[in-house]
Amino acid sequence: MAHGHTVKRYSGLMDWLTTVDHKKIGILYLIAGGFFFLLGGLEAILIRLQLWKPLNDFVSPDTYNELLTMHGTTMIFLAAMPLLFALMNAIVPLQIGARDVAFPFVNALGFWTFFFGGVLLNVSWFTGGAPDAGWTSYVPLASTTYSQNHGVDYYVLGLQISGIGSLIGGINFLVTIINMRAPGMSFMRMPMFTWTAFITSALILFAFPALTVGLAALMFDRLFSANFFEVANGGNVVLWEHIFWIFGHPEVYILILPAFGIISEVISTFARKRLFGYSSMVFATMLIGFLGFMVWAHHMFTTGLGPIANSLFSIATMLIAVPTGIKIFNWLFTMWGGSIRFTAANLFAVGFVPTFVMGGVTGVMLAAAPADFQYHDSYFVVAHFHYVIVGGLVMGIFAGLHYWWPKMFGRILNEGLGKLTFWTFFIGFHLTFFVQHFLGLLGMQRRIYTYQDGLDFNLMNLISTVGAILMGIGTIVFLVNVVVTWAKPKNAANDPWEDGRTLEWSIPSPAPEYNFVQTPLVRGYDALWKEKMDGNKGMTPAEPIGPIHMPSPSILPFVMSLGLFVTGLGLMYNFVFAGIGLLITFGCMFLRSVFDDHGFHIEPEELQDKGVKA
Amino acid sequence: MSAHTHVDGQLPHEPEKATLEGRNKVLGFWLFLGGETVLFGTLFAAFLALRNQVGDGNPTSQELFDLGLVGLATFILLTSSLTSVFSIQAMHKNQVKPMLIWLAVTVLLGASFLGLEIYEFFHYVHMGHGYTTSAFSSSFYTLVGFHGAHVAFGVTWITILIFQVLKKGLNTVTAPKLYVAGMYWHFIDVVWVFIFTVVYLMGKVA
Amino acid sequence: MAGNHSTSEHQGGRHKVEGPQKHIIAYIFSLVLTLLAFTMVAAGEINTMFTYILLLVMAGIQVYIQMAFWMHMKDRGHMYATVGILTGVFVVFTMVVMAEYWVWW
Repeated sequence: MAHGHTVKRYSGLMDWLTTVDHKKIGILYLIAGGFFFLLGGLEAILIRLQLWKPLNDFVSPDTYNELLTMHGTTMIFLAAMPLLFALMNAIVPLQIGARDVAFPFVNALGFWTFFFGGVLLNVSWFTGGAPDAGWTSYVPLASTTYSQNHGVDYYVLGLQISGIGSLIGGINFLVTIINMRAPGMSFMRMPMFTWTAFITSALILFAFPALTVGLAALMFDRLFSANFFEVANGGNVVLWEHIFWIFGHPEVYILILPAFGIISEVISTFARKRLFGYSSMVFATMLIGFLGFMVWAHHMFTTGLGPIANSLFSIATMLIAVPTGIKIFNWLFTMWGGSIRFTAANLFAVGFVPTFVMGGVTGVMLAAAPADFQYHDSYFVVAHFHYVIVGGLVMGIFAGLHYWWPKMFGRILNEGLGKLTFWTFFIGFHLTFFVQHFLGLLGMQRRIYTYQDGLDFNLMNLISTVGAILMGIGTIVFLVNVVVTWAKPKNAANDPWEDGRTLEWSIPSPAPEYNFVQTPLVRGYDALWKEKMDGNKGMTPAEPIGPIHMPSPSILPFVMSLGLFVTGLGLMYNFVFAGIGLLITFGCMFLRSVFDDHGFHIEPEELQDKGVKA
Repeated sequence: MSAHTHVDGQLPHEPEKATLEGRNKVLGFWLFLGGETVLFGTLFAAFLALRNQVGDGNPTSQELFDLGLVGLATFILLTSSLTSVFSIQAMHKNQVKPMLIWLAVTVLLGASFLGLEIYEFFHYVHMGHGYTTSAFSSSFYTLVGFHGAHVAFGVTWITILIFQVLKKGLNTVTAPKLYVAGMYWHFIDVVWVFIFTVVYLMGKVA
Repeated sequence: MAGNHSTSEHQGGRHKVEGPQKHIIAYIFSLVLTLLAFTMVAAGEINTMFTYILLLVMAGIQVYIQMAFWMHMKDRGHMYATVGILTGVFVVFTMVVMAEYWVWW
């Protein structure tokens, strides 16, 4: 029997500001992450414009430092992670047969804290200078002695606030995947994207607190004259590097593992073939996650840790190539003998494989500590990480977006424009970054605003800039695709690719508010494919039709995050505002604790009539 | 998930785990504590790295720490962890009044711990051990201060919960909140075991 | 006091409700370990490295007792909790190695 709660429903802007629905939150992450991706991309274009010829003066050295810092920080924290969270939010609950995540309110809070953290970081452009000490913000450069304006303060506070969002997102997905899988979905029957979301969430849980402490220590040094990194008073600058990279290295696995999951889904769907070596894929993902916590000092080979430390970290780093290689071969073996269809999504996925391998092998080169003494702080490193992050992660995101767009929006992205996006972006990418390997080997340092003539750097820098512009064009083609598709009617089928293997393709596109009319019964891995092969039209329900309990929308996540934003500004300019901001945030927590949300019910009569089984 | 307050007129045996939401909260909080382990661990690592950077003329840990005061604070916090166990046991027996009394005792003991710690910090500042004195002092106050802030948050949280139960009663919605607050309180005592061992006791030894 | 002093009670014949004994014993153990640690340091004459090791071992035991009994970690249904905490401990272990060996040289 339904409880007599008045159903609180908003529409328009208020609907989006108060939503706790994972599907809408996924779209919010997509829009915000997409916006910051464009911002980071603009910063990249400006960098490349400055570097297209020697001794250029397109931007000043100080501005250049701000651009490179913001480009890295924005792309990693405000674009890549949110875009991954977008797909995780949109798809993981559907893949496990759940109606939402474990903590819908906290999910919304995670989005708004990320958003306001990102806004705070970018306010710095307008208030006297963006952070300019690199996305790694090494001390003593980042200390008040050498960075006097508020730039680095914006970095510290913006990331601290954004980081809260990531951490709670991680906990949310862990609990969701552990506790809310549909009946019959054991861990070893979960889709690979869900598995990688799971391991990634564990990495987030254990890596972000280290960043929290590091940022807090830097903030205390800068704002309250603490001495963590103040050498004159006994502080130590290598300590910052350690703490940062103990977070930083797992962070890059946080970035790539979900992309690996996407590739597994897309390749097997468009090869019409079961993923090869599923168990070894799961095990390899766990191993990569575990080893990811043991290699951080390979970013610090040249600091003087000594040969024992350098050897240990060298070997541990090279070890990660083994489970990664297992994954590469499994993708190849999945395609071998399959019936392959090169949709735009699959072009990105297949293009990912050789590109990521290229990035991976330069990683093994960098892992050799003695060799790294030559590569360190050169463009060779820049080439490596862009190959794995852009050639890997960003291509994975494009693949996932094209693949899951109909599930999120009810329309399929235009295939022709999608293929054009792929080719312009792919060719542009390789033009930009392949030459950078050689620039590094020729001795061009990274993070320099210009270079001398006559060093043989000129032509390759020019090619690199041309490639960047081509990537920009590819991105614009994608945006055009989004707009053009928006005008089309919302008429995608449940299973628009017709070869869907997993549960999200068993429900309408876009997914209805409650996801599943009845929670499905899972009878094997690739749950939907199994039903198809057994001649069934869809999933067998695991429960009778009944009223569906939904969580209520709330404005509190938005207000709480706004409070943190005010606190951040207050810590820099006026402690009274910091107090007010904290009061707002804690006040909202108080309200949330005291006024319980009993949710509301959707009655069976209101449910859509699509294949409902009694 | 509807909030079944009682089954057969009785509160379920482990009311915090009787609903999916309750189970989610308990599991989510355990995972959060895993993250908190890394948070405090990082603060410990920073302290360990900087513990000898006292600076010339500044008081050392041997000179600063008074084992009697720290011992008393430890005893108080340890006892408060026991009283919070008793409150959860009363909750499982649906004995609301004893539960609330044990929670109130826990809050009082926690507040006393904080009072002692504030007094202790004032004393150190007078001895020349301020926040900005040295790397040792900054890392000391940050580590111990973060713990104290966690105690303060816990004291506030449990107080709010006491008033909530007085108003709403004990049911499958309020039970997970109480259980999770109890977990939090135990955890900060666990962290304190490491703080008194590593910071105070090992600091007092040569 | 927290209910009767009997070891267990039955409510409607459905389940056992535990008494406070185990927890009070855990408290006493914690108290004893704490007192031992403090007196060892206050006495002052013992070798430094031995003191450090003993202090850490006693802390470890006390933490285990508190988490196993007061936080029910040794009871069934706590696998994820245990894995979560142990993973955190593993990460912290790498940080302690870092702090001891790779910050000053």
